[in-house]
Amino acid sequence: MNKKARRGSLVTGVTSAPYQLWAVIFIVVPLIFVAYYAFTDNDFRFTTDNITRFFTATSSVTGAGGATGEVRTYMVIVWRSVRLAFLSTVVCLLLGYPLAYIISRASDRAQKTMMTLIMIPMWMNFLIRTYAWMTILQDTGILNNLLAALHLGRVHIIGTETAVVIGMVYDYLPYMILPLYSIMAKMDHRLIEAARDLGCAPAGVLRRVILPLSMPGVVNGVTMVLIPSISTFYISQKLGDGMFFLLGDAIEGQYVAGNLHFAAAIAFILMVALLAAMGVMRRLTDKYTYGGQ
Amino acid sequence: MKRASKIFTALMFIFLFAPIAILLLFSFNEARSLSVFSGFSLKWYRELLRDTETLKTVRNTLVLAVCAAGVSTVMGTAAAVGIHRMRSRYLRSALDMVTNIPMINPDIITGISMMLMFVFVSRLLGLANSLSFVTLLIAHITFCLPYVILQVLPKLRQMDASLPEAAMDLGCTPWGAFWKVELPELMPAIVTGMIMAFTLSLDDFVISYFTTGTGFQTLPIRIYNMTKKTVTPDMYALATLIFFVILALLLLSNLTDSEDGQKVRAARRAKRAAGRRAPMSPRTRRILYAGGGTLALAALAASLIFAVTETDDRPPVLNVYNWGEYISDGSEGSMDVVKEFESWYRQQYGRPVQVNYTTFASNEDMYAKLSSGAVSYDVIIPSDYMIARMIAEDMLLPLDFDNIPNAQYISDDFRGLYYDPDNAYSVPYAYGVVGVIYNANVVDQADTGTWDLLWNEKYAGQILQFNNSRDAFGTAMYRAGLDVNADDHGPWDRALDDLLEQRSVVRSYVMDEVYNMMESGEAAVAPYYAGDYFTMLDAQADTVDLRFYYPEPTNFYIDAMCIPSCCQNKELAETFINFMLSEGPAIANAEYTYYASPNTLVYENQAYIDYMGQEAMDILYPDWGGFTEKYNAYAYRNLPFDTLNYINSLWETLKIN
Repeated sequence: MNKKARRGSLVTGVTSAPYQLWAVIFIVVPLIFVAYYAFTDNDFRFTTDNITRFFTATSSVTGAGGATGEVRTYMVIVWRSVRLAFLSTVVCLLLGYPLAYIISRASDRAQKTMMTLIMIPMWMNFLIRTYAWMTILQDTGILNNLLAALHLGRVHIIGTETAVVIGMVYDYLPYMILPLYSIMAKMDHRLIEAARDLGCAPAGVLRRVILPLSMPGVVNGVTMVLIPSISTFYISQKLGDGMFFLLGDAIEGQYVAGNLHFAAAIAFILMVALLAAMGVMRRLTDKYTYGGQ
Repeated sequence: MKRASKIFTALMFIFLFAPIAILLLFSFNEARSLSVFSGFSLKWYRELLRDTETLKTVRNTLVLAVCAAGVSTVMGTAAAVGIHRMRSRYLRSALDMVTNIPMINPDIITGISMMLMFVFVSRLLGLANSLSFVTLLIAHITFCLPYVILQVLPKLRQMDASLPEAAMDLGCTPWGAFWKVELPELMPAIVTGMIMAFTLSLDDFVISYFTTGTGFQTLPIRIYNMTKKTVTPDMYALATLIFFVILALLLLSNLTDSEDGQKVRAARRAKRAAGRRAPMSPRTRRILYAGGGTLALAALAASLIFAVTETDDRPPVLNVYNWGEYISDGSEGSMDVVKEFESWYRQQYGRPVQVNYTTFASNEDMYAKLSSGAVSYDVIIPSDYMIARMIAEDMLLPLDFDNIPNAQYISDDFRGLYYDPDNAYSVPYAYGVVGVIYNANVVDQADTGTWDLLWNEKYAGQILQFNNSRDAFGTAMYRAGLDVNADDHGPWDRALDDLLEQRSVVRSYVMDEVYNMMESGEAAVAPYYAGDYFTMLDAQADTVDLRFYYPEPTNFYIDAMCIPSCCQNKELAETFINFMLSEGPAIANAEYTYYASPNTLVYENQAYIDYMGQEAMDILYPDWGGFTEKYNAYAYRNLPFDTLNYINSLWETLKIN
C-alpha cells in the first residue's frame, strides 16, 4: 500500500508539472498586472483611489415617482449585474438539469445526437446568434408577427431585462448542460432503481440520490454560467437596447475612455468577490458530496 | 412522464435552434438586411466564396482552435489526474483556486492583463513584433485549460478508486493502470473537455482582440469589427454552411457507429475482470482515437510549418490597419482594392508585395494596440481627434509627399484643419456628417429640421440615440448651443440634464443596431451618418419611407491615412496611400462605403455622380458655405483625460437611471 501510494505520487509530480508551470506564468503573473494597475494611478504611483471610487461614487437618480435621490453608482450596477446573472443561472439550471437527465437516460445513439445538437449553436459565432435574437424579439420581429397571426396580441420584450436574460440563457445553457450530462452519464442508475424499489417517492429519489450524485456537475454548471453572465457586455448592449449598464459595460466603457487603471480596479474587485463566492460554494458542496457518502 | 419529457426536450431544441433558423433564412435574403426579407437569392454564398479575407480568417480560426484544444486537452487531463492524486491538501486547493481564475476573470481583463505581460516580456527581450500567433495561442490555451480540468476532475472524484488499485494489485504498473483502467473511464469527460475547448477558442473574440498581433486575425474579430457598418449576410451564409457541415458529420458518425456503447463498456469490464484481453471494438475505438489524435497533430504540425515557411519566403509585407467594412473588398462586383494594389504593384515594379489587411472597431482600440508597442503597422486610418493625439505623442511619421503626388487631388477644403494644421502627417480618406434619419410614414414633416425631433414626445418610444458617450452628449450639446470640446464641467452637466430628460422618450441606445431598427420600422427617428443612411435606404421594408436631414450645427469627422512610427517600410506605405488616392480605387471605396470623399477625382467624376444619383450627391456633398470653418468649429477634439473621465461617469449616471 505504502509503495503503491509512493508510485502514485511519482506519477502525480510528472503529470501536473507542466500545468503548474503554465498556471504560474500565464495565470498568476498576469493577475499581478491587474492588481498593479488597480492600485496605481496613470503615472504608476501607488493609490487606493480607484478602489474607493468604486465603493463611493454617487449619481443622482430620478425615481419612478419623480423624486430624485443619490445612489452609489457602482453598487447599482453590481446589484443589477448580480441579479440578472443569478436569474440566468437559475433558469439555466432549471432548464438544463432535466434536459441533461433526459439525455443521460436516452439510448447511446440518441445521447450522442442530442449532445451534438446542443453543441452546434455554439459553433456559430455568438455575435451573430445574438443578432438573430434581435430579429426574433423586436417589436416588429418574428415572435410578434407570429403572435399577431395567431391573434394573441403583441409583447414588448426587446429592451427589457427579460430579453437580456433570454439572451444569456440561450448563450450559456450549453455550459450548464455539458458538465451536468457528463456527470449524469456516469451515474449508476441501479442506485436510483434501488431507491425506488425500496419505496422512495420520486421527490425523495431526486433529493436523496440523483441530486447528491450530480452535485459536482451542478457546481461546475453554475460556475460556467454565472461567470460569463456576470461580466457580459455584448448581450446587454444588443438585447437590452443599451438601456442597461452591467459590470461588463462599465469595464469596457472605462477601457474605451482610456482609464485602464479604474477598469483594472473594477475587475480586481469583481475577481476577489467571485473567488470568495466560489470558495465558499466549493467548500459547502465538498462537504455535501463527500460527507454524504 | 415519458410524454412530458419528450415535449420538454422538443421545446428546448426549438429554443436552441430558433436563431439558427433565422440565420438560415436570412442567408438567402436578397437585401443586405437581417430584419426585412425581400426575396430569395444565393448571392451571399457567392460573395462568401470569393471573399478571400473572410476565408483566410476562417482558416486562422480553425488552426488556432485545433492547436489550442489539442494542447489544453493533453495538458489539462494530465493536470487533473495530478491534482486528484495530490496528497498535499494545501497545494491541491491552491491549484484548484488558480484553475478557477481564468474562468472568473472577465474576458476583457484576461485579455488586457495578458497583453500587458507579453508587451513587458518582449520589451525585456527586445522583440519588436511580439504579439503574434504564438501569444494568441498561449492565451487560448490558458483560458481553455480550466474547462478541460473542470470536466475531468469531477469524473475522477466520482470514479471508484478501488479500480486502479485492483489493477495494480493484479500486477499493473501505475502507468498501466492509468492507461488501461482510468483513461477509458475518463474518455467521455476528456472528449467533452476537448470539444468545449475547441468551441470556446472558436468563439472567443475579446481575449483574441488583445493578444493577436499584426496580420493574424480570427473570424470573431473580423465580425466584431464590422460593427461600425453592419454585419453582412455573407456571415449568415458562413454560419449556415458551418451548420450543414457539422450536421453532415453528425449523420455520418451516427451511421458508422451503430454499436451500443453501454453494452460494450459493460462487456469490456466483465472481460477484463475475467483477466482476458479487452474485446475488439473498444480497441478499435482506441485505435480510432489514436488515429484521430495523430491526424489532428499532423494537421497542426502541417499548418505550423505552412505558417513558418510562409513567413520565410514571403515578399515584402505591407500591414494596413483600418476600420471594419471600410474599404471596397470586391463584394457585389466591386473592386477588391487590396488585391488590385498587389497586382498593380507587381506590374509597376516587377516584384510581388503582400498586403496584410486587418481591422479595428474603434479609435481607442487601435490606439491601445499601437501604444502598447507590441505590433507594427505601416498604414493606419484613424479619425481626426485621434490623429491630433497621436501627433502630440509622436506616434506618427511626417509623410513624404514626393511619394504621394495624388495628394494634390484632395480638395482645398481639407487643408489646414485643426488636427494637422500643416498637412504634414495625414491624407484625408473619407468624411462624415451626423444627420437625422426618420421614417416619413410616421414622422410629421413639420417636426423635422432640428435636433428637437430627438426630444419630441410625440414619437416617444420610437427615438434612437447613440450608444457611445461622446456622440450622445454631442447631440444634446449641439442642440443647446454648447461647446462639444468644453474643458469645464458645466456644459457637460447641462447636456446630461437634457439626456436624462430625453431618456423617457428613447427607445434604444444603439450603434450598428440602428440599421435593423430603422430598416424594419422598429424605430422612426435616429441620429446617424449621412453615408449610412443610403445603406439603410437600400434595405428598407415596404412600409418604411426613410428620409434624412442635417440639423444645425452638427458633427463633422474625417478619417485620414497616416503612417505610424512603428512603420517598417515607409516608402511602400506611401506608395499604397498614393494608390488609394488614385481615381479607380478612390471611387471604388467611396461607392462601397457611401461616405463622402474629399478627393476631387471622386466627387467630380461623372460616372461616380451617375452611380450615386443626384439626390445622394445633394445629401453627401451639399454646399457647406465654408466647410473648413464649420469643421474647425464643430468637430470633436481630443479631450484631456480628466474631462473624458468625467464624461464617462456622467454617462454611467445616465445609464443607471
